[in-house]
Amino acid sequence: MMTVSTDQDAVTAPVNGSAPERTRRFGAAWLAAVLVFGLVVGAAGGLLVPRLFGTPGDDSVEAGFLRDMSTHHAQAVEMSMIAHAASTNSDIVTLSGDIALTQHGQVSTMLAWLREWNLSPTGSQDPMTWMPGSEGSVRNGLMPGMATPSQLADLRKAASPDLDIQFLTLMRQHHLGGIHMAQEIIGLSDNKQVTDLAQTMVAGQQSDLNLIDDLLAKIQKS
Amino acid sequence: MSTPGPERVPSTVKVGKTSGQGKPPTGPKKTPPKGGRPAGKGPQGKGRKVQPVKVSGGRNWGPIAVAGVVVLIAAGIIGYGIFASAKGSATWEERAADISGIVDYRAQKNAKIDSRNHVEGAQTYVTSPPVGGDHNATWQNCMGDIYTEPIANEHAVHSLEHGAVWVTYKQGLAQDQIDKLAAKVQGKDYMLMSPYAGLDKNISLQVWGYQLKVDNADDARIDAFIKALRLNATMEPNAACSGGNTTTGPLTAAAGNGTTMGG
Repeated sequence: MMTVSTDQDAVTAPVNGSAPERTRRFGAAWLAAVLVFGLVVGAAGGLLVPRLFGTPGDDSVEAGFLRDMSTHHAQAVEMSMIAHAASTNSDIVTLSGDIALTQHGQVSTMLAWLREWNLSPTGSQDPMTWMPGSEGSVRNGLMPGMATPSQLADLRKAASPDLDIQFLTLMRQHHLGGIHMAQEIIGLSDNKQVTDLAQTMVAGQQSDLNLIDDLLAKIQKS
Repeated sequence: MSTPGPERVPSTVKVGKTSGQGKPPTGPKKTPPKGGRPAGKGPQGKGRKVQPVKVSGGRNWGPIAVAGVVVLIAAGIIGYGIFASAKGSATWEERAADISGIVDYRAQKNAKIDSRNHVEGAQTYVTSPPVGGDHNATWQNCMGDIYTEPIANEHAVHSLEHGAVWVTYKQGLAQDQIDKLAAKVQGKDYMLMSPYAGLDKNISLQVWGYQLKVDNADDARIDAFIKALRLNATMEPNAACSGGNTTTGPLTAAAGNGTTMGG
C-alpha cells in the first residue's frame, strides 16, 4: 500500500519537474526489476508451494497419526493372523481374516502417503505426541488399546474357544484405542485424504465392535 | 490510497516517512539535481523546509532502497525455503550416508551379502552380525520384540529383508544400557532386539545392507539410523513383521528347521 503510493508520487514528480528522460530510465529499471522479481517469485513459488504448504511436514499431526496408526494396525494384523490360523470357529476365522486384510492394506496406504510426502516412516517424536492430552497413554512403548507381549504370548498358545475369547477381548480393546486416535485426527487435520481414511476406520471398527460383542456373547453362552 | 480526498496533505501525513521523498515533487526545486541519480544525493536537497531532511533530494534512492530491501528479504526467504525443501527431500540413502560410522554393504556388491534365497539349515555370513544373504524361509518376529537370548541369524536376516531394524548388543552389557535400547524397540513394529554372541562392539544395528556399531546406548546415531532406515531399507515393501518365529536359540533349536511357517 504505502510503497505504491510513494511510488506514484515519485513517478509524477519528474513529470512536474523537467526530466522526462530520467522518468523513462527509472521506469525501465523498475519494469526489469519487477519482471525479474516476478519470475523469481513465480518459479520459487511453483517449486515450494507443493512442498511447503501442499503436504504435511515431519512433525505434523498427519505424519504422527499415519506413523502411529501404522504401528497400531500392524499389531491388529498380528493378532488377527494368529486367530485366523488357529481358530476352529468359522465366525472368528472370517472376522480375523477381514480385519487382517483391511488393516494391512490400510498400513500400506498410510506408508505410501508418508513416502509421497518425502517423510520417513519413522518420526523423531515419541508415539502419540501428535495427539493433545495423550500424555502418559503410551506404556512400555504400547499405544492405547495395544496388547502386551505376554497377552500376545498367551494368544499364540491358546486354542478355541479360549483363543476366540482372547482374540475378541484383545481386539475389542484394540479397536477402542484405534477409534479414539482416528477420531482425534479427524478433528485435528484438514487433510482430506487423511481424514477420509480415518473416517472409514471409525466406521469400520465401530461396526466390528458390534460384531465382536455379539460373538463374545454367543461364545460365552455356549 | 484509501484517502479519497484530493488534498495531498492528509495522505502524506498518513504514509509517514517514506512519503517524504514523494512530497518534494510538488516543489519546483527538482531541476538542479537532474544530473544523474548518484549526484543528486548529498548537497542539493538543502533548499526546502520539507521534512525529508536526511534523504534530501535523492528521490530515486528512497524507493529503490525500499525495493532493494524487500527484494533481499524475499530472496532470503525464498532461498531458505529452497534450501530447507531440498534438505527435507534428501533420500533415505543420503540421510543414511550422513551417519558417521555407518557401513554401506550394498555398495560393496558382495554377492554373498546380496543373495536372498530362502534356504534350509545353518548359514555362514560375511559380517557379524549379518546384514544380508541367504536366509531361512521363516523370519524372526519383529513387532518390537525384545529377545533376551541370542536368536538365529537365519531368521533375523529374513526380518532385515522385510525392512526391520535389528538391534544387537554384547552379551553382558550393563542393564541400564540394555533398557535404553529396549525403550527404542518395544512396541515398535519393524524393530527387534537381541544379545549377540561375540559382538566386537557394545551395540550393533543392522538393516538389510547397512550396519552401524556404537559403544553407548546414548549415542545419537542410533536414533538417526532407525529414522533413516527402518522400513526404508526393506527389500520387500509391505512385507509383514508379524507371523514370524518367536523363539530364541540357534536355528536347529528354533522351531523346526524353519520349515514350519510359510515365508
